[in-house]
Amino acid sequence: MNAEDAKLVCECQYLGLEKEGLTAGTNPNVVGVGIGHKTVRGQPTEEMAVKVYVKQKLHPLLVKDGEVIPDEIEGVSTDIEEAGEFSIWRPMPPVYQRKVRPAMGGLSIGHYAISAGTLGCLVRSEGAEYILSNNHVLANENRGVEGDPILQPGRFDGGKTEKDVLARLDTYVALDPEGANVVDCAIALPFVAQDVSPDILNIGRLRGSRDAALDEKVQKSGRTTRVTNGAVTDVNATIRVGYATGSYIFQDQIVIRGERGSFSSGGDSGAVIEAYDNAAVGLLFAGSPFFTVANKMTNVEKALDAKVV
Amino acid sequence: MRANFPSKVVAGHSLVGFIVRHSIGLPMASVEEVKRRHEVRLMKTPGVVGVGIGRKDGKDCIRVYVKDDSPRTLAALPQNLEDVEVEIVVSGPFKAL
Repeated sequence: MNAEDAKLVCECQYLGLEKEGLTAGTNPNVVGVGIGHKTVRGQPTEEMAVKVYVKQKLHPLLVKDGEVIPDEIEGVSTDIEEAGEFSIWRPMPPVYQRKVRPAMGGLSIGHYAISAGTLGCLVRSEGAEYILSNNHVLANENRGVEGDPILQPGRFDGGKTEKDVLARLDTYVALDPEGANVVDCAIALPFVAQDVSPDILNIGRLRGSRDAALDEKVQKSGRTTRVTNGAVTDVNATIRVGYATGSYIFQDQIVIRGERGSFSSGGDSGAVIEAYDNAAVGLLFAGSPFFTVANKMTNVEKALDAKVV
Repeated sequence: MRANFPSKVVAGHSLVGFIVRHSIGLPMASVEEVKRRHEVRLMKTPGVVGVGIGRKDGKDCIRVYVKDDSPRTLAALPQNLEDVEVEIVVSGPFKAL
């Protein structure tokens, strides 16, 4: 009898698949059956064997009567392999969505009540260093109060208030539903200064801030679409933006178009828009299917009385 | 290319005050000023989600971002404002990310 037939017998007896002339049964420890080289003391041999994958490999004396897998099935050797339990493949989330200390620009972050946004960069104000992102990321669209916990990673990426609190909400520029807004920004104070770094993930250090020129090439590092490149297509835009709490008008914004496909997506809010000389030129906060909108970094610095580190 | 003549006639009809400015030799208004004067009205036009400044054929232009290319929205928008060309861009709606 060949290995193929022996395998069919195993499938019937251990996994409960139908086979003519045999009664189907199941073995709770068996998770799979296959065909491969028989392994002896860790070395594969020429002999083909029926592979029986088990959750846990035990000494035959410890296995319940009737659940022991024989050395041979229909004249074909068996080879028992410990496989653990098979499950659907869940890839490790990208580093952008994991807990990282020191935390840096580009990583997932958020007020404890929101889903997740992006940590922009560090800013200095009156000698202290703060984390910069959007109001709607750190202050939950005006609903946050001073001292609220800020999680890294954000709640949507598994951040928990018991173990992932990085900072406390400090100051936000309120969003105005009536008049024109210029910035959507907020700062949070890290509990431990060593838990944050002025780097931007996969880009490096910032070199100050300035305004972007029309058609200038820019890049950003953000939680969802990671590092992307684009060009500034408008440096004086007035845009109506939809939020969870309503729609707000923003003036003096920059508009960016991605170089290859989308420049940003949900969760990238708060990312710093950087020119190719590493100057911070914008703070990403909104987008349409074709464009990304950012506050001018110079306006953000003015509104918060802070400077990019 | 559209001939210059018809568009001038349109501008002359709708923007009498501006023509007077020209006739007494004042410099032409900057695109920023033109945008500021018209953006509140443009933003109230149904379907318009943004007003900005772009570049078209080497010249600055007023850019109007619209939610979709519905004929009603397009028909409600001018082709130029105070001699500055208007470019319509279908951006889709803007949302906080």
